[in-house]
Amino acid sequence: MPAAFSGKRPGLRLLLLLCLSLSGGSPADPTVTTQDASHSQANSLTKMQTGLNVSSPEPMTTTRTVNRQTQGSPSDHLTFGHNVSVPGPDLTTQEFKQETKEHVSNATFVEYEILLPGVSGTSTEKNITLDRATRIELSCRLDNKYSHLKSLQVTWKWGNETLRHINKTENSWGIQLRIWDNSQLGSYSCTLKGEEEMHAVFHLQVPKIEGKEKPIVSYEGDTAVMICKSYGYTPTAWTWYMTNGSEQVAINDSLLADKYVINRVSANVTHLKILKLTKEDDGIYWCEAGFELGKSKGKLKLKVLSLMVPLKPFLAIVAEVIVLVTVVFLYEIYSKKKEKCAADEKEFDQIEQLKSEESNGLENSSTRHRKI
Amino acid sequence: MPPLANAGQAPGPPDGGWGWAVVCGAFVSIGFAYAFPKGLAIFFKEIQDFFGTSYSEVAWVSSIMLATTYGAGPISSILVNRYGSRPVVIFGGLLCGIGMVSAAFCTSILQLYICVGFITGFGLALNLQPSVIIIGKYFLKRRPIANGLAMAGSPVMLCTLAPLNQFLFDNFGWRGSFLILGAILLHCCVAGALFRPIGAPTPPVKPQVTGKGKDALKEEVTEDAMEMGSPTKVPMEDKVEEEGGKACCEKINQYLDFSLFKHRGFLIYLIGNVLMFLGFFAPIVFLAPYAKHIGIDEYSAAFLLSILAIVDMIARPTTGIIANSKWVRPQIQYFFSFSIAFNGTCHLLCPLASGYTGLVIYAIFFGLAFGMVCAMLFETLMDLVGAARFTSAVGLVTIAECCTILLGPPIGGTLIDTFGDYKYMFIKCGAVMVLAGTFLFIMNYYNYRMLAKEEKERKAKEENPKPVRTENEGRNSWNKETTRDGPELEPLSKEQEGLKEEVNGINEV
Repeated sequence: MPAAFSGKRPGLRLLLLLCLSLSGGSPADPTVTTQDASHSQANSLTKMQTGLNVSSPEPMTTTRTVNRQTQGSPSDHLTFGHNVSVPGPDLTTQEFKQETKEHVSNATFVEYEILLPGVSGTSTEKNITLDRATRIELSCRLDNKYSHLKSLQVTWKWGNETLRHINKTENSWGIQLRIWDNSQLGSYSCTLKGEEEMHAVFHLQVPKIEGKEKPIVSYEGDTAVMICKSYGYTPTAWTWYMTNGSEQVAINDSLLADKYVINRVSANVTHLKILKLTKEDDGIYWCEAGFELGKSKGKLKLKVLSLMVPLKPFLAIVAEVIVLVTVVFLYEIYSKKKEKCAADEKEFDQIEQLKSEESNGLENSSTRHRKI
Repeated sequence: MPPLANAGQAPGPPDGGWGWAVVCGAFVSIGFAYAFPKGLAIFFKEIQDFFGTSYSEVAWVSSIMLATTYGAGPISSILVNRYGSRPVVIFGGLLCGIGMVSAAFCTSILQLYICVGFITGFGLALNLQPSVIIIGKYFLKRRPIANGLAMAGSPVMLCTLAPLNQFLFDNFGWRGSFLILGAILLHCCVAGALFRPIGAPTPPVKPQVTGKGKDALKEEVTEDAMEMGSPTKVPMEDKVEEEGGKACCEKINQYLDFSLFKHRGFLIYLIGNVLMFLGFFAPIVFLAPYAKHIGIDEYSAAFLLSILAIVDMIARPTTGIIANSKWVRPQIQYFFSFSIAFNGTCHLLCPLASGYTGLVIYAIFFGLAFGMVCAMLFETLMDLVGAARFTSAVGLVTIAECCTILLGPPIGGTLIDTFGDYKYMFIKCGAVMVLAGTFLFIMNYYNYRMLAKEEKERKAKEENPKPVRTENEGRNSWNKETTRDGPELEPLSKEQEGLKEEVNGINEV
């Protein structure tokens, strides 16, 4: 059977978006032209810094090198790193981190846009899944038909912090982020205030892992296999936890090799095999997938039953079957007896009739004799 | 049971009374035989994870079960010929139960193949054939209705088993479910208990030949439904067999009638059905994936199958009633060919269906066509070969169909994989079935004409009696007289054949 044609992979979507942005597209597309790039990159530099501090002067010298870096070549990253000469110890560390991160990861650049409805008081949300360090641009756009709305004040916020944004076009505003750490994930929001107020939120998250909603049922002495899958994103590591009371205890399969076997079947799938189940193994298990940007957990439930549990309905049904079969056979014997009785009676009646006819005949002949 | 001398006065098939209880039993039996392999699919995902195998390896379980159910047909026929329906069905039910219970304790996929595939499959085979056979023994006038009702067991059981299996799986896991399903399959034994033997009991194999030959039952009446001449085509002549030389063949033929392969109607049925099954099951297998492919969500896709099953459920008894009416019964073969062609046309039109509404309409028509074909599947075979030879016929037909049934879905799957589009699979299935329907239509027209001709010839011969055959003619004319009254008395000769005392005729093919 053919593989499902449903495009469930956000990665694919990302790639498409990337292609769109690189190819130019139509004016309506949220593409970043090189001119805008220079602006945005300058702003993004500010953004990097404002990740921790609110504002600082922008060194304009980095503009051009930044342009080239949208293509993502490692050498440019290095240049970039070098060119940033901003004072401050924390910034240097940040800069260093930036450098190493960009060294290590293939810089992916993605864009997300929310189209704001012109209705006041609305809040639109978008969930964005990131599994590795990414450069991301988030933008809020107002539909052209609402461009008559003047004097709009646009604010971008991350938590409580206000971020500097750029005016991409007349009706769209965006921020550019470089995400390399779990601490940078969260909710980024843009608010348009004017005569009407509109709100849009981007939720940046690590990929979710789905466990199983329904419990896995197994039996004492049997083996149980629990499977966790990651859809679309490859985790760097998998860890399994079992709940002991209220705390989660990591499962060490090398320590208890005859009880637990953890097998990474493929890049996105992990198996936990529990051998020789007992009642104590009953409970909730967690599979944790580690990504560059953080960790994500999936929940699975294991139910361990004793063999008596299915045995009771089994015996009940077998007993019912035996009863039914006996009833059917007894009914058959009974109806056969009835038939036989009826047949015997019939025969008896026939014989009686014959006898009576005979005797009648004799009487008749005797009466005849007498008469004669 | 009445002795040989009174065989002529033994009653024909009751066409009612205890027959309806037999229909209930057959309903359960046939239902399990057809629906159980399909219902097991719910467990496959879990079993696949548990044993760490691929999906196709697990799907083999179902395929082996289906193959055994159809492939063990001849064995089933032989056993029924020897022991009668009841013991075979009870034994089959026990076998199913044992198979599933032992499957609950399996530790490898190979053991599952054996326990679920072979043992349970064989048990279901021992259920399917005798149930179909005994309906022929209990019914004649109302046989199509009885067949339609009994075959309705399949969709009803499927609709019951699917949610039941899901419930069992959620509460007991796959092992516990297999255990309980083993107990549920024991209800086939109850069905078997209902199959009271009827007609003279089959005498044990007598090695000596009494001069009339214990030959296989020859040409049986096929025109019991024809309104034209007399219903019984009385066997032509009394063939005296040589002892010893043919004793071996006779023995085999007594159990499994290979001479059926010389029977014109049987051959037509066989070829037509083997062709039909190439395209019969594949659309059902691929309906849900096709729906998901064109963008319908899982639950609506599953609902399509439910619609199909519900329409099927209603269609089968209805078709039985229609097939029993006096307009259709004589030409039941045409009705059968028409329903096959109708089925094929549905498949050919399916690619034109766009969106969910189109698929719902397709599912309704498909369910209707599927039910019509299934309801008449065995009825037409009974009509062609007669109830006495039906035992062997059904065994031979099922083993021949076994290959194409198994080939159908994989061929469809290959087409889908090669072209990446479902429509070629539908076109292939539709084309094959329309072809099969047309073939059956034409060949049955020819068959009816040949039978009419043979009937005329027989009548002509009877009007010019030959001296050698006086004794036989006497018996023939007696048969003719007693059977001239109508199809009801046709089983009279069947009684005699059941006693293997029947005058043997030659099949004039």
